[in-house]
Amino acid sequence: MGLPLFDVNNDPGASFQALMASQGIDLFAPVDASAQPSAHATTVVAVRFSGGVVLVADRQATSYKIASRDTRKIEAADRFSAVAISGSAAAGLNFIRVAQLAFEHYEKLMDVTLSLEGKANYLSTLVRQNNLTTPFTVVPMLAGFDNNHHIGRVFEYDAAGGCYERSDYTVIGSGTDFADTTLRLGFKDAMSSDEAIALACLAVYEAGDNDPSTGGPDFVRGIFPIIVVVDAQGFRELSGEESATRFSAIRDRRISTQGRAGGDLR
Amino acid sequence: MSMPYYVSPEQQVKDRAEFAQKGIARGRSLIGAVFSDGVLIVAENPSTSLNKISEIYDRMAFAGVGKYNEYDRLREAGIRWADSTGFSYSREDVEARALANYYAQHLGDIFAEGQKPYEVEILVAQLGIRQTPTKLYHIAYEGTITDELEFAVLGGDADAIRERYRVSTSGAGDLSGTLQRAVVALSGPDRQIRSSDLEIGILQDAGTRRTFRRITDGETDRLLGR
Repeated sequence: MGLPLFDVNNDPGASFQALMASQGIDLFAPVDASAQPSAHATTVVAVRFSGGVVLVADRQATSYKIASRDTRKIEAADRFSAVAISGSAAAGLNFIRVAQLAFEHYEKLMDVTLSLEGKANYLSTLVRQNNLTTPFTVVPMLAGFDNNHHIGRVFEYDAAGGCYERSDYTVIGSGTDFADTTLRLGFKDAMSSDEAIALACLAVYEAGDNDPSTGGPDFVRGIFPIIVVVDAQGFRELSGEESATRFSAIRDRRISTQGRAGGDLR
Repeated sequence: MSMPYYVSPEQQVKDRAEFAQKGIARGRSLIGAVFSDGVLIVAENPSTSLNKISEIYDRMAFAGVGKYNEYDRLREAGIRWADSTGFSYSREDVEARALANYYAQHLGDIFAEGQKPYEVEILVAQLGIRQTPTKLYHIAYEGTITDELEFAVLGGDADAIRERYRVSTSGAGDLSGTLQRAVVALSGPDRQIRSSDLEIGILQDAGTRRTFRRITDGETDRLLGR
């Protein structure tokens, strides 16, 4: 490929998608509608707290069997936002890549970062384009720190690309019911980051415990859910050891009650 | 029927070069210099929004002097080239040498065939890693490309600035020392450039994928010891 120069009337502007389209690359190429999605299933939760958002995701990719035990479903979209995926693994990973590049491309060309709301709306179009052209459905979430308003914000999507901001928390994936119930009962306004991490971990633990397509903490292999915090300092992923400590604590509580959840222990 | 005047190729090249040089000389100059753990680009630029220096990719920066609309277009093309190459292949495959060559070809073509040559000079800087070296590619208005390992000066007053910088330096110093020498070389003996009139960008490893960052006025003052 040579130097991509455009005249004023054909300039793709700051859109990475428009740029690729100008080169004949369709980022969401239509495929045979009868094709069956392969790996899928997930639980990812995002919880707002006083200074930002916490995200926790399980690590399992599931087809007819367990396809992968150490999948990463949360990535930094840029310095102040995280994007997470559920649905088709293949389409989801492509989705993350396109989202990351689209935000970075905009930032470099315009010399200014997209607002968090701008990023959320931009993802709507990507979801719609992917899901309406392929059976490899992706349902993402976006969570981040809004530097214009100094708060953490979470956005969820439906399969048709509708974007909805939630004031408390959001969940995607096959384990949604279990994680959602946990979060609904445990959520409080203005939690500390520590409380929010504890609650989000418990929600993913519950999903892993009850949904066959969500992987819980894997003490045998030492693979633990990914925990991410996005606050005024930006995107930060907690270490594997920290995640192991958090999930071991939940496990120990459950052992002491012979596996029963609830009560003060939760 | 009127006959077109005959202009010899030599004369044509000379005229075009003179035209481009005049255009470039109207603007302010800039220096790109390698320091101990990164690359520094300093431009004299009174505007705070019309930038001369920009990020291209993870380890690559761009700078231009001359006509803003012309080098800004090249800057955009560079970002587009880098982002789509990195997407199609891998981020590691985005290399400054390839981009510098495309710029050189384009500027050369426009100089020889265009209505008028571009009145710009550009710099593509790359921060090295593993096999990739730290390099500064300087591309002139007619497509001449030179690669520098230590520093490059772009703009109308380049010869004098280059000489001032050359005599002041011995090897790659730290960021603060390199910036001070560059600013002294840019301003010359008779004046001092205000911090707010300097645009500064650096490529430096800080544990993140993207290595480009702009230096703010406050940090400039601190680095210059003002």
